[in-house]
Amino acid sequence: MLATVASSTLLGVDGHRVDVEVHVSGGLPGYTVVGLPDAAGRESRERVRAALLSSGMAWPLKRITVNLSPATVRKSGAGLELAIALGLLVSESELPEDCVAGVGVLGELGLDGTIRPVPGTLILADALFRDGVETVIVPPVNAHEAALVRGLVVRSAPDIASLRACLKGEEPWPDLDPPAPPLVSLDAEPMDLAEVRGLTTARLALEISAAGGHHLLLTGPPGCGKTMLARRLQTILPPLDPDEALEVTRIASVCDGEPPHELASARPFRAPHHTSTTPALVGGGAGRPRPGEVSRAHRGVLFLDELGEFPPIALNALRQPLEEGAVRIARQGASLTFPASVLLIACTNPCPCGRVAVDCRCSEAQKARYARRLSAPLLDRFDLRQRITGPAASDRAGEDSATVAARVAEAVARQRHRFRASPWRWNREIPAGMMEHYAAMSPDGLDAWMLVVEDGMLTGRGAGRVRRVARTVADLANSPVVEGEHIILAASLRQDVS
Amino acid sequence: MSNPARPRTVATTGPIGTAAVLDDRRIAAAALASLDGMYPRTLRRLWETWNDPLDVTAAIMSGRAASVLAGGRRDHERLIRGWRSTLDLAVAEARLRARNTHVYVAGTDEFPFESELEQGPVVLFGEGARADALHRPRVGIVGTRAATPHGIDDARELGAALASAGVTVVSGLAIGIDAAAHHGALEASGTAIGVLGTGLDVVYPRRHGRLHQQVREHGLLISEYRLGTGPHPARFPLRNRIIAALSDILVVVEATQTGGALITAGDAARYGRAVCAYPGSRRNPSARGTNELLREGTHIVVDPDDVLLLLGITSGSRRFPGGPDAEPVTPEERAVLRALGGEPATVDEITARTGLAPGPAAVATAALVRSGRIRRAHGLLWPT
Repeated sequence: MLATVASSTLLGVDGHRVDVEVHVSGGLPGYTVVGLPDAAGRESRERVRAALLSSGMAWPLKRITVNLSPATVRKSGAGLELAIALGLLVSESELPEDCVAGVGVLGELGLDGTIRPVPGTLILADALFRDGVETVIVPPVNAHEAALVRGLVVRSAPDIASLRACLKGEEPWPDLDPPAPPLVSLDAEPMDLAEVRGLTTARLALEISAAGGHHLLLTGPPGCGKTMLARRLQTILPPLDPDEALEVTRIASVCDGEPPHELASARPFRAPHHTSTTPALVGGGAGRPRPGEVSRAHRGVLFLDELGEFPPIALNALRQPLEEGAVRIARQGASLTFPASVLLIACTNPCPCGRVAVDCRCSEAQKARYARRLSAPLLDRFDLRQRITGPAASDRAGEDSATVAARVAEAVARQRHRFRASPWRWNREIPAGMMEHYAAMSPDGLDAWMLVVEDGMLTGRGAGRVRRVARTVADLANSPVVEGEHIILAASLRQDVS
Repeated sequence: MSNPARPRTVATTGPIGTAAVLDDRRIAAAALASLDGMYPRTLRRLWETWNDPLDVTAAIMSGRAASVLAGGRRDHERLIRGWRSTLDLAVAEARLRARNTHVYVAGTDEFPFESELEQGPVVLFGEGARADALHRPRVGIVGTRAATPHGIDDARELGAALASAGVTVVSGLAIGIDAAAHHGALEASGTAIGVLGTGLDVVYPRRHGRLHQQVREHGLLISEYRLGTGPHPARFPLRNRIIAALSDILVVVEATQTGGALITAGDAARYGRAVCAYPGSRRNPSARGTNELLREGTHIVVDPDDVLLLLGITSGSRRFPGGPDAEPVTPEERAVLRALGGEPATVDEITARTGLAPGPAAVATAALVRSGRIRRAHGLLWPT
């Protein structure tokens, strides 16, 4: 007898509906899974059998064939096991056929019959919902996550025995467990821009960076406050809008760690160490391709401290994602796209000794070698490049984060209004062809623009970036057109690092 | 050359300048200076005994030289054996003719300075289009490689002022002050002498390939080392004593407390040359050495004319009036210049001192940069 149960599997950060077909017939007892399962899928036999037996159900001594359809999509992980188990129960008439009709099933099985969590439940449930499934059965741990999909009916049971009872109507569906209290992260020390003294220009660059999504590079000697300043970027970023929050939560759902219980409220801030490998940074890796740090920072901040210490190969791999806002990974049979729209902020020392200008005692050869680590195309990605010198005695405490964040939020609101009919969100993303439309200049601005370009203060590619930054400066100043002052300020904030 | 590890920096250059005079003594001197293991000190030791390259050659071939070397070199017997088999005047002559290399021999009229200077060189090689550069007054300009933009400007200005007064500028083709002095002299269409710590055919540092070529074409390159000699840390302080010896006056533009420029200044003082120094800010580590020299009583240079006056040349009128032509235009620009007060400062310091908002401060700074009144370098703003 044949039974079909809907489920889904992960492809990168997208869900893909999978119909689990279970066929039980006479013949030599056996169990075969077909339809491109991975190793975990092939092992499902042992888990499904043990789970059924320990839950007081029978394992049919018949020929069992499980087909995962469509056969061309590679299935990963053990999240289809609960669907296989339910399919078996239906085909053995342990369950009525209609109780799984139109229901999506996600879950991994323990040997004792408990239903274990599945990574990416939010994405998997969302894929099922988009495919017309109105009810999903998910592991209890993932119930709140699945419930983030608006309109979807979420059912959950702790183990397969109680699930069968609920499905047959013998017991009522249990209420969803209250979500676990959020873990207190060690990273979450309270921070405020007011703690940064001095660094007036660098603070300004940070504000513009947050307001327009411009990548920022801070160069300076050790202990001058680069890292302290960079970490406080997250305190002035605009809040996530609902669409962005869903995108952030989806990626968090795929990644290892505690499954999300509610929509992300804060923009991610990822600070990978400089020993990170290229796949760890951009995504991919052996087995199931996973999002890298650049995707985990999607809609948030990717902070690369000690940029010069990162392997050049890893940094160059970041160039394309920074430009496109997405990582494309080609695999045999599938091409995956991970979203990666990040605000990149990086810190580096000007030379190995890190001292300022004339105090530096590095040889020319050392400096040249150090500078080569950062390729010109990578440096070009930074709209804002600030050279920080040491602290000065006259340094005073600056504004607090709330004040700056308020200005940033206003500038962001102006951008959202400007880009309301376009796919872009930040001034950083204005395409070269749309510059006249989105970053119009006053006559005075045009004069300054010509001067800046002629002065050779920038390269041709740099010129477009300066104009985008100038648009953000104008947004912060609530100016409808870009004035000369905005252009020149933007150009002066894009210094040569050498 | 017999040197197995040829440096990567060999310049391929053909003969240059008017034909060099070659006689037996010059050829013998060149052959001696090109022997394996013949250090300048060794050659000087032999010279002090026989006083003539032909006699030194004879002493080596007869083996008498061994006794003189015995005091200083433990491997003297092996050395002499090697020299007797490799000393070849015909090869030396062919090599000199191929590149038109001049040879200056101590004790002769054309040797550019006193032969009896303490540990001074006795044989110098020279190549370049302007062998007459040695016949003019010569001023050495030296300083740190870690020069500030101000130091670079001063060296360039001084090089140009001296060159246009007909003075030969002597320096070491190093990064920083040296290169700026050479550039200044060349830009003023003057003559320059570059003293190398390598063979004449070796470019070091590599990035100065063009400068090396320019000095060769418009001046003279001098070295006491045979062709193919690569860079070695020990040879640069030795090179400095030749700069000191060649200079009638030595000017130190910027020097750190530990740099080679102070070694040159010490050599020049020992050789009885006049030493001058530019004063610098007490906050500038690249001027600590020069300020120390001034504290010890060195002549002070605040204008290129000061050096010309010391040479007994007057420039008539000041051809290098410091200070730009036009006055600052806007009050903001005036405020920024005032806030700099002649010293480098960060943008943050400027905004703090002027109280200007970032926008107007950036506009004023950009205008000042455009009109050449200030310059950006090392993350600082430098008034010119």
